[in-house]
Amino acid sequence: MTDVALPLLIAVPILAAVAPLFSSVLGFRAGWYAAAVTTAIEVGLAAVVLAAVYGGDRLVHPVGGYPAPYGIELVGDGLSAPIVALIAAVSLGVVAFAYTGGPRRNSFYSAYLLLVGGLMGVSITGDLFNMFVFLEITGLATYALVAADRSDRSAVAALKYLILGTMGASFFIIGVGYAFISTGTLNMVDLSARLAGSYTARPVLASFGFMIVGLGLKAAVFPLHTWQPDAYTYASDTVTTYISALVSTVAAYAIARVILTVFTLAFFEAAPLARWAVLTFATVSVLAGGVLAVVQTEIKRMLAYSSVSQFGLVVAAFALATPDAVLGGVVHLVGHGLMKGGLFAAAAILAATHGARTVDDYARLGYRSPVVAGTLAVLGLALVGIPPSIGFLGKYYIAVGAVRAGVWPVAIVVFFSTLLTLAYVARLLERLYFADPDAAAPVPEPSPDAPVADGGETEDTDHAGPASGDGGDTRTVRAVSSGMVLVTVLAAVVVVALGFAAPVFETLVEAFLGGVFS
Amino acid sequence: MTEIESLRPIAAVLISVAGTLAILASHRRPNLREAVTLVVAAGKFGIVTSMIPGVLAGDVYVWSLGPFVADIAFELRADSLGLLFATLASMLWIITSLYSIGYMRGLEEHGQTRYFASFAMSLSAAVGIAFSPNLIVLYVFYEVLTVATYPLVAHDETDEARAAGRKYLAYTFGGGVAVLAGAVLVYWLTGTVSFSSGGIAELAASDPAFARAAFALLAAGFGVKAGLMPLHSWLPDAMVAPTPVSGLLHAVAVVKSGVFGISRVVLDVFGPETVAELGVGLPLAAVATVTLIAASIIALRKDHLKRRLAYSTVSQLSYIVLGLSILSPDAITGGLLHIPAHAFMKLTLFFCAGIIHVETHTDYISEMAGIGKRMPVTMAAFTIAAAGMAGIPLIAGFVSKFYILVGTVSTGDYVFAVALLVSGVLNIAYFWPVVYQAFFETEDAHDAKPLVEAPLGGESRSILARPDGGRPGDDEAETDAETETETEAEAEPGTATGEDGIDIEDAETDADPGELGRPDFGGETTDRDYSDPAPLVDGEYAVDRNPSDAVIGGADEADERPAAGHEEDTHADTDEHGHDHDHDHHGGPPPGGWERRGWLGGESTWFMLGPILAAMAGSIVLGLVPHAAVFLRLVDDIVASALTLGVLF
Amino acid sequence: MIELLATRWAYATFVFVMVTGLYMMIASPNLVKKVIGLNLFQSAVFLFFVASAYVAGGSPAIVPSEGGGGPYVSPLPHVIVLTAIVVGVSLTAVALALIVRIYREYGTLDESVLREVTDD
Repeated sequence: MTDVALPLLIAVPILAAVAPLFSSVLGFRAGWYAAAVTTAIEVGLAAVVLAAVYGGDRLVHPVGGYPAPYGIELVGDGLSAPIVALIAAVSLGVVAFAYTGGPRRNSFYSAYLLLVGGLMGVSITGDLFNMFVFLEITGLATYALVAADRSDRSAVAALKYLILGTMGASFFIIGVGYAFISTGTLNMVDLSARLAGSYTARPVLASFGFMIVGLGLKAAVFPLHTWQPDAYTYASDTVTTYISALVSTVAAYAIARVILTVFTLAFFEAAPLARWAVLTFATVSVLAGGVLAVVQTEIKRMLAYSSVSQFGLVVAAFALATPDAVLGGVVHLVGHGLMKGGLFAAAAILAATHGARTVDDYARLGYRSPVVAGTLAVLGLALVGIPPSIGFLGKYYIAVGAVRAGVWPVAIVVFFSTLLTLAYVARLLERLYFADPDAAAPVPEPSPDAPVADGGETEDTDHAGPASGDGGDTRTVRAVSSGMVLVTVLAAVVVVALGFAAPVFETLVEAFLGGVFS
Repeated sequence: MTEIESLRPIAAVLISVAGTLAILASHRRPNLREAVTLVVAAGKFGIVTSMIPGVLAGDVYVWSLGPFVADIAFELRADSLGLLFATLASMLWIITSLYSIGYMRGLEEHGQTRYFASFAMSLSAAVGIAFSPNLIVLYVFYEVLTVATYPLVAHDETDEARAAGRKYLAYTFGGGVAVLAGAVLVYWLTGTVSFSSGGIAELAASDPAFARAAFALLAAGFGVKAGLMPLHSWLPDAMVAPTPVSGLLHAVAVVKSGVFGISRVVLDVFGPETVAELGVGLPLAAVATVTLIAASIIALRKDHLKRRLAYSTVSQLSYIVLGLSILSPDAITGGLLHIPAHAFMKLTLFFCAGIIHVETHTDYISEMAGIGKRMPVTMAAFTIAAAGMAGIPLIAGFVSKFYILVGTVSTGDYVFAVALLVSGVLNIAYFWPVVYQAFFETEDAHDAKPLVEAPLGGESRSILARPDGGRPGDDEAETDAETETETEAEAEPGTATGEDGIDIEDAETDADPGELGRPDFGGETTDRDYSDPAPLVDGEYAVDRNPSDAVIGGADEADERPAAGHEEDTHADTDEHGHDHDHDHHGGPPPGGWERRGWLGGESTWFMLGPILAAMAGSIVLGLVPHAAVFLRLVDDIVASALTLGVLF
Repeated sequence: MIELLATRWAYATFVFVMVTGLYMMIASPNLVKKVIGLNLFQSAVFLFFVASAYVAGGSPAIVPSEGGGGPYVSPLPHVIVLTAIVVGVSLTAVALALIVRIYREYGTLDESVLREVTDD
């Protein structure tokens, strides 16, 4: 009966998304409470799924009682369960963060819950078209959330994201169409069985290409990443924290699904060029993203490019398609979500307390906000891959997978990416702790009664000119609750603790890997 | 050999992690903070030494957390090699902690909490490295060590310190990546990365090309921290750190973790036999030999005492690597014994450099003439440790070098034997001037140091302060510093042009040696009035330090700009004067010469003198009765177990 | 080629409309036209699905209780297209809402002008 948890994971947040709107009509500000209760329920449901999968089950729920090839299946297995858990945990954390961090409008929480439902849907659906629908729900909610910041540029960034994101989704659905024409089914497991033997047929190859390009756009793999830095930079801090942790993550997860469950390893054997193409894009993404991150001066933009680099790593892992690499990909996907979410949250707090938004602004903040800066340092070092942390685990498994597969260029890039990551993280750390004492600009004291309602706007709408919000004089300061700090610290603690959780991940993913690599 | 389940290895690691937290928590109360450091250091040493009797009896203490990644377990094993390193690090930490208190308080340094916390964390990592049972766990602690020591390198928060910190991170993380890559290769080849005496058996049977690649990656990765050339250049730069850091970390814990890693790779991953079969020992020995000689020669040319010691460290570390890569039992014994021997001696030397800095703000050897009067005990200790470095009998260095020498001769590698002897001579050559001028020269009449101070052959002059606050020796010091770096901008008197009346050019300016030491730089500067006060830059009369920067009839502005610019250049390129900035007093003797202080501690606080004497005593004990000191017994144990499987010899 | 166009004209149209939409999205500086391009692009995809399901002489998949009848047209692509249309409409709505906001803030819908105004 635990499979009932699967539809509930999707249905609960989507239904609950209506509650904030109703409460708006009635004049309550109940959005936060609705979101908090819902995400808490999600955490419980995710725990049920995780426990069942950890115990060796593969949860399958036919929606509406229609059996598999005709109806839609929801699947909880070793690949989806960690992602579901990540989504639930991060959702709860971000809701806690948003209590003081804002935005506090009811409409924000409606979109937020919709997004939670969409993300869950992408993660557990077993049907390709259904995956498209949930990708679009995710996309719609994300566009709205990015634009929810009142700054002038967020709308432009959101529109850019919308156009590119829709294009990505459309490519994906074209790919699905080709697969459907070739086989007449949309169920992933069914598809993989029917595709067997016709891998080199042109529609099948086209289908793979369209799907990967479409999902690559959503996951922001270089050179399809152009929407992402703007969207991350101009969205409000809370939103950035959430979407950076999850939205690209589920797109990368979808790539894994498409490669491993739908097309399977036999496809790569039959069409090695497809594998090399994906590997090439992914490795280039690792390097390009890293280099672009190094040259950024704005913190959020730097972290955004860092995501481009890290997702390159994840996609490379799935394209390597060896047991170690896939495990590494899953671990790094979860790890990146936690680390990047935590980093953006820490950056959000520093922006709120000190108005610091560029690397230069971070001068000696390590002494003004020791806890948050320390968290930032820990998370940054974890992202580099310093053990013990989940960042190290992911990279280690991917590296082992690359070496075992004998794909030396990828192995070298994985090792080299560590240094590239170090380059931008070390820049931050040096600013935080070892900047010249006189270089630290005076920082406005936080006023005790700073307005927090409808937070999220850090730039006034009339600053259309360049560098608005970046200069020291336009720094604004908002209140930060200890809850926000606690959530961020918790992220760091979890990141380090999961560094010892490799056996858990292995057990989780084992059954799934057994199915793929039989 | 029995394995004993025990919490002691993890306790030894975690006690200073707890100490780090306690130090951070007590940041408002310096006395409590430093008490915590001392208590934790003593506790750590106690835990580590409590395992020695068991390990000598053949036991191994094991603590296991279970699987870490894949089938690699997160364990800690205290075996004899690990205990050698752990005992050394924890013992010297006590001494260094005491010294740190004196040093940091003496200089009224900033960020002392960060300093002590990072120090405690570094020691955790060092002991973790010592007790690592496999390459992955070793890598974990290796990286933690890098992170924990970075704040100590960048401690000064000056441009030069930040640059050193960046360089340090880049080098050591690069090394870490190489270690990880090597570990992954080994794992791929053999399915395990655990250390086992005599090496991992499967490695001998695996593809030699990949095995060699793995060895190269591991050796290079650990070689970074071990200061093997050409990967050594972070070490001299890291001397910008406070002296106790240079002493314990950059002569013992950090650099020795690299050496320790190499010894694990040679003895327990590949095993001497496989190393010989793969033919990778000889290249490593060659690299070590080149490093040995080259670093000694560079050390000869260094005027900054800590930098000279740093190059000496680079050179001495290569003794250990050489001993390990010769692959004879005696050489391995000597190499491993040199780990503690060098630690005691070099710690003494660094402590001496530090105490001189605290008491007199003197960093340059050329300013130390006659300093034996001011700091008799310090310089006596320095003399003894330096003699040990050179391999004079009855001091620790002799025993270990003797073993290495016997090893090289017994395997017929006479080239290495000759290199060792040459290096011994070079050791004397770069330490003797320091000792000689301290005791047998006076500040107003001393020889210029051959090689360091041109012209060759020396000349007699004074380093006493001149009426204008500068002293002629400064000019030499500066010029020497510049000869060390290849690119250096300096103003030449003859090129003064333009609006400011001065033009700074990149030029090979190491002006004619004959001109140095004379204030007269030729016709154009004859009118210069040295008593005219120049603008004060960072507490120093920069113009006096660099008379060639001055402008004829210098307007104030014109005076200041090139002088300041030049000073920046000097700092960026040579990293020489950074420590002095907080203090008005420039290095060298005060006007009127060194004050004469007694032999009973009149020269400084016992917080610093005590540790110096303790470290010095340690090096004498190791030299006089090596078998009574526990280290040689541990080493014998290691060599015996590493060779039980070996039929090499 | 001619034969391909004659027999597969629906697919040729699909490609033509899709590329037209793509071109509009890339080339047109006007944001509204970009959104129209996006709609064209999506419509092409709908056409693709519908065309793929077409069976010459087929009837709607309403099977009489006694069975037989046929041939039937697969209903699945139609369901897919219906869903996709809904998705497309909501996307257009969000896009237009954003455009309204952009226009209110910048007073322009020209992409190059916008870039000048927003770029640092």
